[in-house]
Amino acid sequence: MTTRRIALPASLDQESGRKLLESIKKERIAPGESLLLDFANTQTMDARGGAWIVALAEHARKENAELSWEGQQGDVADFVALIEPGLRAEILKRRETEGFIEHAGSTGIAVAAELREFGGLLVDATYWTLLAPIEGRGFRWGLWTDELYEMGVRAIRINFVMNFLLGLTIAMMSAAQMREFGLGIYVANLVMIGFSRELAAIMTAVVVSARTGAAIAAELATMKVQEEIDALRGMGLNVSQFLVAPKLLALLIVMPCLTALGMLAGIAGGTVWGVLVLEIRWDAWLNQTLSAATIDDIWQGMSKSIAFAIAIVLIGCHNGLRVRGGSRGVGLMTTRAVVMDIFAIVVIDMLFATMFYYVFD
Amino acid sequence: MTTKQNDILIEVHNLIAHYGETLVLDGISFTVKRVEIFVVIGGSGCGKTTLLKHMTALLRPTSGSVIYDGADITKMDEEQCAKVQRNIGIAFQSGGLFNSMTVGDNVALPLREYGGSDEDLIHAIVRLKLGMVGLGAAEHLMPGELSGGMRKRAGLARAIALDPPVIYFDEPSAGLDPIMASGLDDLILNLNRLSGITFIIVTHELESIRKIADRVLMLDQGKEIFLGTVEEALTSPVERVRQFFERRADDFIVQRGA
Repeated sequence: MTTRRIALPASLDQESGRKLLESIKKERIAPGESLLLDFANTQTMDARGGAWIVALAEHARKENAELSWEGQQGDVADFVALIEPGLRAEILKRRETEGFIEHAGSTGIAVAAELREFGGLLVDATYWTLLAPIEGRGFRWGLWTDELYEMGVRAIRINFVMNFLLGLTIAMMSAAQMREFGLGIYVANLVMIGFSRELAAIMTAVVVSARTGAAIAAELATMKVQEEIDALRGMGLNVSQFLVAPKLLALLIVMPCLTALGMLAGIAGGTVWGVLVLEIRWDAWLNQTLSAATIDDIWQGMSKSIAFAIAIVLIGCHNGLRVRGGSRGVGLMTTRAVVMDIFAIVVIDMLFATMFYYVFD
Repeated sequence: MTTKQNDILIEVHNLIAHYGETLVLDGISFTVKRVEIFVVIGGSGCGKTTLLKHMTALLRPTSGSVIYDGADITKMDEEQCAKVQRNIGIAFQSGGLFNSMTVGDNVALPLREYGGSDEDLIHAIVRLKLGMVGLGAAEHLMPGELSGGMRKRAGLARAIALDPPVIYFDEPSAGLDPIMASGLDDLILNLNRLSGITFIIVTHELESIRKIADRVLMLDQGKEIFLGTVEEALTSPVERVRQFFERRADDFIVQRGA
């Protein structure tokens, strides 16, 4: 066991600290050797000088050399006492990353737990939306009307424009194909069936998930972060009753309305193209459109919109309530909610298509 | 290793501030001396935090001036303000940590942005500052994993990272256990004495005020009602000041807010 005594400079600051550490790093530390810092000559030291001593301690730990210090007096002694926790700190390991099997396992557990949570929310929300008001257990009608306005009325303009433009696009696209065979008039059938069965419901759901779905997730996530959700629970109030149910009932009413509007807007878009560009008389176009329409087609689009409404509200609430951490978590969960919304919309649409084209047909 | 000096570092002159229509600060004037621990006290909602935000140029006053080291920060543009703000440390009530970074990276942020020092030294400084506030083991944790008191201390570590000459500290000991609160007072006294840092502290804690304050400014409903040492406060002719220090509630909970 040998001890290397290191005499510290009279004034320990940024420059002298750097030089000191450089000179120590030059000489190898032999196994078993320990370092002794001698503060006897040190008259003044500042925070940067202290930081170099901490860096020196780190170096000594990496080399497995013991570090001790002596001789500090007066203010320097107080300063050394102040930086002592930094000198004694253990080398902290960064978190270990998990292996493949561990990763697969923990992912599986996380997914199962999330599904259970989502199922719980679904049951709770269904009860507090559909049954509890009938049983007279309370429903926040005031919030419900606010939500109807926010989710519905304020979405009318954007939803109309989006569907109108899509109708225009679909008419353009199909006219390019049909015109060659002189079948321009059948573009009316295509737009009518397309919008009543699929396009209006999907486009409206995309608009609503971007507006309402994101808003729900961000609102609940922020409430969770600011302990408002805990405050609700602490007062014995049910989160599903208080926050989820009014939103769910509102969107269940708003969504079919917006979808119906979307159908009209899309068909209007198609008609504009047919009359102005394909030069088909508007009454002929209208007759063709009406003859193509069946109530089954419209019913299919409307029933889908109900499923979309449930998915958008529950996914928004679910992700909002799962938030961890602060501002960053809110952003992550809002993104996640919108991505899951779009994914759910496409999957639900596919399930409905399978049902209507193959099961009931 | 600096002794208390008498030259003036900050001079606040007739500061008037509104939030919308509401008058929050009503003609506040005082000076802060170099290397002083200056404490701002007062009941909740009396404008303490607002005053702090005006002194750090985070808010602009309706009228009046804040002269920091000879220059009026209320008249400065964004860029000049940023230069001044670089030289002061601010520790916020709830930490103000960035959620997306580890505690260590939070403390290292001002060093990496302004320090221009090499990574080894930055790491050592982060170690040193976190050790000072008793969070040596929390370097790799995310702020979301810390308790409120720990976040506050991490916020202080970040505020002192660049060894600024002035530190503004909003409610340092609220929410800390008595041992930690007392430790934090010692840390403030040590930093003040050994590194010559001027502190401007907003607090409610009587114990802590008695222990650390060189001078005290008391606000009440946006007005300055007392300025002086703790000893002077105890014999102040103003009833409300003595009430505060004797912890009496003669007119329990005055309805305010208008």
